[in-house]
Amino acid sequence: MRKVAIVGIGHTIFGNLSKFDLVDIMSFASANALDDADIRKDRKIIEQVFVANMGGGILNHQTGIASSLVSRIDLEPAMAELVENGPASGASAIKVGFAAIASGMVDVVMITGGELMRTVTGWQGTDFVATLLHPEAEYNYELTLPAFGGMFARMYMERYGLKEEELAMVAVKDHENGAKNPYAHVQIPCTMEGIYGSENAHIVNNLIADPLRLYGMCPVSDGAASLILCAVDSPKMKYFKKKEPIMISGIGSATDTHCVHHRKDPLELKAVRLGAEKAYAMAGLTPKDISFAELHDPFIILELAISEEVGFWGRGKSKEAIAKGVTRIDGKLPINTSGGLKAKGHPVGATGVSQVFELTKQLRGEAEKGRQVKSPKHGLAVNFGGFGNNVVTIICSKE
Amino acid sequence: MIDFSEYSPKKPEVYAYKCPECGTLDYPAPMICKNCSARRDPSGEIFSAWEKVLLGGRCKLLGWTRVYALPEGYDEKYLVFGIVEFKNGLRASGRLLMDNPRTGMELETKIGIVREKVGEDVYGFMFDLPKK
Ligand SMILES: [Zn+2]
Repeated sequence: MRKVAIVGIGHTIFGNLSKFDLVDIMSFASANALDDADIRKDRKIIEQVFVANMGGGILNHQTGIASSLVSRIDLEPAMAELVENGPASGASAIKVGFAAIASGMVDVVMITGGELMRTVTGWQGTDFVATLLHPEAEYNYELTLPAFGGMFARMYMERYGLKEEELAMVAVKDHENGAKNPYAHVQIPCTMEGIYGSENAHIVNNLIADPLRLYGMCPVSDGAASLILCAVDSPKMKYFKKKEPIMISGIGSATDTHCVHHRKDPLELKAVRLGAEKAYAMAGLTPKDISFAELHDPFIILELAISEEVGFWGRGKSKEAIAKGVTRIDGKLPINTSGGLKAKGHPVGATGVSQVFELTKQLRGEAEKGRQVKSPKHGLAVNFGGFGNNVVTIICSKE
Repeated sequence: MIDFSEYSPKKPEVYAYKCPECGTLDYPAPMICKNCSARRDPSGEIFSAWEKVLLGGRCKLLGWTRVYALPEGYDEKYLVFGIVEFKNGLRASGRLLMDNPRTGMELETKIGIVREKVGEDVYGFMFDLPKK
C-alpha cells in the first residue's frame, strides 16, 4: 500500500453561517486548503475530490454538491463524488480518498466536508439527524440522537458511578480549549460554578435529555473543513515543499446494529473498538503510542466512552483520568484540543475532516498559544456515525 | 410488488417476526434470520412469509431519559423514553408513561399513538407501571 500524506488543510469558522450558501462555505474551506498547500495556481494537479455532506438534499435542497464544488473553485476536470455516512461522512470521505491514493488510482486528492444546518429551526435540525435512526422502531417514536445520548449517559452513570460533576468538568475542559481555537463555534470558557452546583447552574445549564444538560451537548453549527492528500512516492510531492507533510498512518472503520436495542450491552461501542483496532494495526501502533486525540463528543459522555473503547484506559475508568487532569491540554493524553464537538461545534459533514485538520495542525506544531500539545508524534481521531453504528478511526503521525 | 407497509404500523399492534425455519424471533423485521440465515419475503411469493407474533406483556426497563427538546405541537414539558427487555428476550425502544422511572423496574406494555403524522397516526410501544 502506498503511503499517503496530508499536504494542505483548510477550515472555516464554525457557527451560524446561514447567510451563506452551502457550496460557498465548502469551497471557501477548500480554497484555504489550496493556499495552505501553496498550490492555488497549480490546483489542477488535484485529480479527485471527495465531498462529505449529510444534509444538502434535506436541509438546503441541493444535490450534486461535489460537482458544484469542483466548478466553484475551478478544478474541472477533476473527478468528484459525494460520500455520505451520517455524522461520520467526513472521516469516511478521508478513508475513500486515502484508498484512492493507496490503490494507485490517483496521486492527489482533495477532501472537503461541510454542512449548513442553521437554515432550519433547532428542532428541524435535530429531526434531520434523527432520520438516520431505524424508521419503524426508533424514528417513529420521536426518538432523536440526544434521546439516545441521554439513555446512554444514564446507563453509564448508573453502572460506573460517574457523577454529574465529573461530566461538567469535561465540559469546562473542552470550553477551555475551544476558547483558544479561532475556528470554534463557542469561544467562551465556562466555569464549574457557572454550570454545576451553584444556585443558577441548573437554569443556565438546563436539562435537554436527562441526565444530559445543555453543557453536555454540542451546539448546532454550520461550517466546512478541507484537506489535500498526496501519495508520498509521487513526483507531485515536489509541489508541497512549504509545509511539513503529516502521514495518515492508520484508518479503520466498522459498523454495528442499526437499532440500539439490538446491542447485547448497549454501553459497548463495538464499532468504535473494531475500527480503532484496525487503525492501530495498520499504523503498527498501540494506544500507548498516541500523544493526543480528537474524540466525537456531540454528547460529552461519548468522549469518555470512546476514550475507553479505543483502549486509552479500561471501561468506566475515565473518571480517574478526569480527576488527574490527564485529558487536559497539559495532561499526559490531551483529548479534544480543538474544543471537541462540544465547543468547536458539529456541522455534521464537516466534523470528521475538521478532526483531522486539528490532528495535522497539532502535529505540525501550528496550534494557537495555550492549546499546542507538547511535541506530539501520533494523533487519533474518532468520527462517530449514527448512534455508534458506523464509526471511523484515523491515526495521523509525524514522519 | 414488495409490501413494505410494516415499516409504518397503522394498527394498534406491534409485531415481532418469527423465522419459519428455526423459530427465532426478531424485532423489527429483518430480511435474513440472524440464527439460520433463512430469508424473509415481505410479499410471501418467493420465500415463505414469516409469522407475525404480537410483542408486548411484562418487560424490564434497561435505560431511560426525559427529553425536553420536543417538536412543536406537544403540550408536555418533556417526553420519557426507554429501552426495555421483554420476557422472550427481545428488546425495544419506546415511550414511558410515568414521570419517575427507575432502571430495572418491571413495566407493562401498552400500544398507543407515538407520532401524529398528517392524515395518519403511528402506533407504537408505550410502557407503563404494571397494574397491581
Ligand atoms: Zn432462522
